[in-house]
Amino acid sequence: MTQSAKPVPPIWCPGCGDFGVLAAVKKAAQNLKIPTGELVLVGGIGCSGSIHNFLEINGLHALHGRLLAQAVGVKLANPALTVVAAGGDGDGYAIGMGHFMHAFKKNASILYIVMNNETYGLTKGQASPTSQIGFEGNVEPPFHAILTALSIPAPNFIARTFSGDPKGMTAILEEALRFNREGRGFAFVEDLSPCVTYNDTYKLWREKVLDVSKLPGYDPTDRKTMFRLCLETNEQGRIPIGVMHRPKESGHDGLEVKLIGERAGPARSDIRLESNLASYQKLLGSLT
Amino acid sequence: MTMSSAKSQPVPSESTLEPTAPAMELADLSVMIGGQGGDGTLTVSDLLGRYFRKQGLYVYTSRNVLSRIRGGHADASVRASREAIAAVKSQVDVLVAFDHEAIDIGKAELAPHGFIVYDSTTFHSELPNAAGFPFATLVGGPLGQPIFKNTAAYGALSVLLGFDVAATRQVIEDRFKRRSAEALEKNLKALEIGRKAALEAQGVANRFSVVDGDARDLILTNGNQAVALGFVVGGGRFFAGYPITPATDIMEYLQRYLPAYDGVVRQAEDELAAVNMILGASYAGARVMTATSGPGLGLMTEGISHAGAAELPIVVTDCQRVGPSTGEPTRNEQSDLSHVANLGHGEYPRFVLAPSDPADAFRLTIDALNIAEKWRVPVILLLDQALAQNTATSVRFDLSDVRLDRGKRLTADAAAQLAQYKVYELTEDGVSPVAPPGTPGLWSEVTGNEHDEWGHVSVNPVNRVKMMRKRMEKMKRARADLPPSRFFGAETARIGFIGFGSTAGPTLEAMRLLEARGIRTRYLQTRTLFPVPVDEIDPFLQQVDVTYVVEHNYTGQLARLLRESVPWHHAKLRSILKYDGSPFRAPELISAIPEVA
Repeated sequence: MTQSAKPVPPIWCPGCGDFGVLAAVKKAAQNLKIPTGELVLVGGIGCSGSIHNFLEINGLHALHGRLLAQAVGVKLANPALTVVAAGGDGDGYAIGMGHFMHAFKKNASILYIVMNNETYGLTKGQASPTSQIGFEGNVEPPFHAILTALSIPAPNFIARTFSGDPKGMTAILEEALRFNREGRGFAFVEDLSPCVTYNDTYKLWREKVLDVSKLPGYDPTDRKTMFRLCLETNEQGRIPIGVMHRPKESGHDGLEVKLIGERAGPARSDIRLESNLASYQKLLGSLT
Repeated sequence: MTMSSAKSQPVPSESTLEPTAPAMELADLSVMIGGQGGDGTLTVSDLLGRYFRKQGLYVYTSRNVLSRIRGGHADASVRASREAIAAVKSQVDVLVAFDHEAIDIGKAELAPHGFIVYDSTTFHSELPNAAGFPFATLVGGPLGQPIFKNTAAYGALSVLLGFDVAATRQVIEDRFKRRSAEALEKNLKALEIGRKAALEAQGVANRFSVVDGDARDLILTNGNQAVALGFVVGGGRFFAGYPITPATDIMEYLQRYLPAYDGVVRQAEDELAAVNMILGASYAGARVMTATSGPGLGLMTEGISHAGAAELPIVVTDCQRVGPSTGEPTRNEQSDLSHVANLGHGEYPRFVLAPSDPADAFRLTIDALNIAEKWRVPVILLLDQALAQNTATSVRFDLSDVRLDRGKRLTADAAAQLAQYKVYELTEDGVSPVAPPGTPGLWSEVTGNEHDEWGHVSVNPVNRVKMMRKRMEKMKRARADLPPSRFFGAETARIGFIGFGSTAGPTLEAMRLLEARGIRTRYLQTRTLFPVPVDEIDPFLQQVDVTYVVEHNYTGQLARLLRESVPWHHAKLRSILKYDGSPFRAPELISAIPEVA
């Protein structure tokens, strides 16, 4: 058997919330029996973006903020691959915001995990787009990714998890991956992943998280309901977690399904000249 | 019953002409068509181009040729010649005007024998060499819409220029038969209306006669279409781009061509996404490309540097336009050369290729895909607006010597035989064998961080030096794969030209004009701009007394690159520069040379 790159030990501080994500990704992939060679993990820049180095997996380390564009490129070139993009809140909601919004609209069947710690950890604790007012002199209100995601009318899977609840996270990641592998579209999971060094929110978040599925009227197929539940939970000073949206219909709405269907796709297509010669001659012959 | 209403009277053609003189023969003809956007100037230009090509002439069409164009004004020009031309002619023989502004703009370009055909629906011209026809009114009644005035104008021109009647009609059939039966019928009617009006007017019919040519089996196309076709034939299967003039056509052509070949074309949310989408698709194992222009290239620069570090093969087509910033999006310039030669942060191997005509653009796109994949590097394909968008007659694109070289790409069987799979394995030529993800039993780490052979992040100084040398070694090793320069003219000539891109057309025409005066010149058209092909440039400059470096920019970017590369020839290099947005015309080049002017 060919020896491939061996995982290296995580660079994270002991107790980092990202360990929870690492374990949950590993477990979910195992539970779904995804062959190692078929899984591609596209990492962003920041502590969380190094996650692909710690797994026996195809890792593609993208530029800061650009991981979603690269992940969509991978999926559209070879739809047989299971593609996970993983990065932090700065990566996804600041420098990568344009790609973030469009990922919902594109609806390629990839999983995007944002490890939200409300700070830029790797550059030593600056305020991030999700930082609370007052954190490191921050005067801007925090960005709410789940409400934003719910506002885009596309058949996406949307959820929020907490690193302090690894079991709940594994179940949600498993559902998200299944959603992707069935060609149903984009899955977005924001994980609340405390930075133990610059913004240790474990205790606070453990007290504040609230599983929305326990709330009366919970219906993740209805955006209006979920938007209201999230807003109300926030107003009560709590943080909603759980599955926030799954489409009512189980359609194969993934972008790669629409564009490629059952065909091989760009990376696996037979590009040999001899296989295409007659067709090329016809194409060039049509020029006048 | 008597005709009493003025409206039912036939509209008289307005002509201020003397009775018809013998036809003036034209073997090199330029027609300029101007009007408001939507008047159909491009349609007239297209119809004329098709006719001339059928008559065995070389054709070159361009849009917005003048530098004084403003507001809603649009114009196009068609040149047809018995000689192989690929440049705008200095003077206009026939001006077609759909409004008065078109006459104001175009008359300065008109040759002494030049003639104006205009739509007299809304204005009258007192110019002596002008014939007005109320095209919009003439077609508006019988066809219900004034829009067919462009086809009527083509009909009038066919009479003015003594076209073959059947061939004139055939052009309309070829162009409109695929639209609808109704569109074809109406355009044929409009053609006849235009012809009839011109035949009835004094001094218009057969005023000129266009000499047929013997250029056969040529196609009329532009650089952007050629790049799109080269991409398909070169095995390109994934394209992402963001609309930007003058590169957008490439994406539009590929949207038509690629789906039939299992390919995917995506319009991204911006150029950052476009370049990163192709990086992802390249990683997955597809042959990929994006196409952009100056401002878009600026945004893509981060991603192109990443391709250099991560060793991901990508092709980036830059259709240069007037810069900096938004500049003049529809106009011609070659001012991105210094940028692409030094593109990005950090140091990495990159190659810049520059085709000069559509057939060359087809070929170099295939070369670019081969070089990118074989050497696992970014390749820049550098076009300019004139090459990208102006149409020119071209030899048919040849498939006979096309080869696809996938380099050390590993098949699943070959990969299974490996004891170890190191995606950045150190090798003599700097290229590591790579298997696309999804190859059973193996995986890899691909990153823009400095890394060891396994792709693991590394800041080890010894490793850093090895990896830098591995990547930069490709610049040296790939030289044999880079497109060679083309040489034209007499080897014994003492005056030389060097240039790239669309300047080839006017340069070759200037050489022919000089040759007719007994002045021999030589031309090196460089198709690889970076790294500078010193082994071709050096002997060329050795043989001449002086060389004119022809380029469309202010600072002489190619000349500067040459001076850096062959400093010992510094004194022989002089620049001919144009940066007003319009392409060179051959006489401009001649008048810029003191030795011959």
